[in-house]
Amino acid sequence: MKLEMQGIHKRFGEKEILHGVSFSVESGKALGLLGRNGAGKTTTIRILMDVFRADNGTITLDGSPFKASEQKMGYLPEERGLYPKKTVIDQMVYLARLRGISKAEAKKNSLRWLKRLELEQYETKKLETLSKGNQQKVQLASTLVSDPDIVILDEPFSGLDPVNAQILKDVVNELIAEGKIVIFSSHQMSYVEEFCEDIAIINHGEVVLSGRLSEIKKEFGHNQIVLNADNYTPQKLSELLSASFGDAVTVNKVQKDGCIMQCIGSSRRELLKRLADSDIEIERFEAYKPSLNDIFIAKVGEEA
Amino acid sequence: MKKLKTVLGFELSNYLQNKTFLITSLLIVVVIAVVMFLPRFIDMSDMLGTGDAAGSAEESAGDDDGEEKTYVIYDKTGAFSKTAVLEESFPGSKWKTAKSADEVKKQVNSQKASAGFVVNSLTEYEHFVHNKDLSDMDMVVFDELLAQAYRVSYCEEKNLPLDEVMNLVNVNVTGTEKILGKDMSESFAYCYILVIAVFMIIILYGIMIATSVTTEKSNRSIEVLVTSTTSNSLIFGKVLAGTIAAFVQVGLVLFAGVGGYAINYDYWGGKLDAVLHIPGNVLLVFGLFALFGFVFYASIYAAVGALVSKTEDINKTAGSVQMIIMIVYFLVLFQMSNIDGTIMKVLSFLPVSSYSAMYIRVAMGEVAAWEIIVSFAILLASTGLVGYLAAKIYRMGTLRYGNPISIRSAIRMLKNKSAE
Repeated sequence: MKLEMQGIHKRFGEKEILHGVSFSVESGKALGLLGRNGAGKTTTIRILMDVFRADNGTITLDGSPFKASEQKMGYLPEERGLYPKKTVIDQMVYLARLRGISKAEAKKNSLRWLKRLELEQYETKKLETLSKGNQQKVQLASTLVSDPDIVILDEPFSGLDPVNAQILKDVVNELIAEGKIVIFSSHQMSYVEEFCEDIAIINHGEVVLSGRLSEIKKEFGHNQIVLNADNYTPQKLSELLSASFGDAVTVNKVQKDGCIMQCIGSSRRELLKRLADSDIEIERFEAYKPSLNDIFIAKVGEEA
Repeated sequence: MKKLKTVLGFELSNYLQNKTFLITSLLIVVVIAVVMFLPRFIDMSDMLGTGDAAGSAEESAGDDDGEEKTYVIYDKTGAFSKTAVLEESFPGSKWKTAKSADEVKKQVNSQKASAGFVVNSLTEYEHFVHNKDLSDMDMVVFDELLAQAYRVSYCEEKNLPLDEVMNLVNVNVTGTEKILGKDMSESFAYCYILVIAVFMIIILYGIMIATSVTTEKSNRSIEVLVTSTTSNSLIFGKVLAGTIAAFVQVGLVLFAGVGGYAINYDYWGGKLDAVLHIPGNVLLVFGLFALFGFVFYASIYAAVGALVSKTEDINKTAGSVQMIIMIVYFLVLFQMSNIDGTIMKVLSFLPVSSYSAMYIRVAMGEVAAWEIIVSFAILLASTGLVGYLAAKIYRMGTLRYGNPISIRSAIRMLKNKSAE
């Protein structure tokens, strides 16, 4: 399956919020939908979920018009909540049934997900008696209880401790492995880097960067190299490079894990040979790939 | 339809899990049922005045009140120089004579006498009482006594035969009433009670439905819900659940009352006919109009719930609806004594008021079948329209957080949206 959003426009009153948002995501892959607060991520997701209607643009699934109500969808919204006075199992079964699952299957799936998320002891407890993290896990279980083909997770890690975050990571990886379409929105870039093969960064209602994350990283690396040595600190290494290798490299940045430099006038192979012949004990010599965080800030953080 | 059923089931379970709702309903039903069976086990003839009918007649002897009342009189005319006639006309009373009007006033003020009379002439007197209760008939009795004294004095003065004059004044007329239509005095009580009952369930359950919608907004479960099913299923599931809960509750109370009364009819001696002997056709019209009238208002309340984000704000937006319901309630109650008047006729066709006005006209007045059909058709169409609008408002309002939106603003927004 391939889900595609093309040229989505949305206006609230006089103000246009989305100006032609486009991206696509395929089965067995996760798309990281990124953007600053108020960039238009939630509006985009709500249009996908048919909460809002787009003023313009198309959404297709394998080329055919897409309607959320006709698909098996699992949506974990950013603004989430369930019924605090109801038992965990009652609300999970209710939500599953609302999505068209039979009562027996809803019960079976609920128990399975409660077990998978290590919540089985809370089955008959009222939601309000659970900790915030466990309530968050019940919310996730409710999202997945109908065995959806398309899963949209908006900030799923907020409120989770490292142990619960690991459980959630495993679950998301399983979903991807099972061939689900996963759309993942988060401000925690490390999670996005971990799961998502593709990303789309939305800024002021338009996609400013999208594509394969590995390629984007390569592109944002600008052909730079990271060098680190066992016998020099990055700062000393930088000074040495500038003094002895100034004809071959320019040091652009010094980080705690090495120097980021650009080759000038020689190939990487030649540079590596010269470095190996010097007294530098090379610990790391590789193409520089910026973190998603760096890319995000570089792309949308300029006007902050 | 399946999803609507799911929402309906879930919402109904909320009512059933609400202990206050359950206990109150059961308690009312049990108390009414017990009261209806009481005359079967306890002799209530004194309380009900049904000695004959219940077959356990025991004439009540002695004074009704049991307490002797003291009166004081200052008579300038001398017509009541002997107080025996007064004691005879005021059963269980003791009369004292005073020497002046002031003495009468003092005795009444100090409560040495329950009441006092100052007779200035045979056509004019003053009545003094410390605190007058609602059932005080002293003046009515005294009017007749003084009028009689005047007649006696007049006949003596004019030398007229008193007996003949009295026969002329007090002619015995025999009249037999045959009611061919409806006796309003018979249906007034149950109509009154049913108006109050419908008013109460609309207000009570309306707020419960609005609260149920707003709670889903305030606990942020609404986004999960509207993306899991249609907003129509959500709103109408709630409205229907509220309707079923309300009518089951009222139905059980009515069943306990009317059913218990029917079973024990002989023991009650027909004493509660005015309240519980409701004709089937009136109950049917009441049921249908009350049902759709309820759905009409419940849909509005559900829309109101979607327009606010906090339950404490519901009354701000619901104010105008509550006002309409209150105005209708008082208008209908006040117009019950003028059942065939224009106002009642108009009220019986307006969808905001026909739910109570029409069955009252059926119970107490003359209504053509076409009037009932037209009024019901208007109510049905209006309920459909209000339901449609409520669903639109619900869809629009569910994800709007912040300040409450008035119903008028919401309709304006819908208009603008459809014009775009």
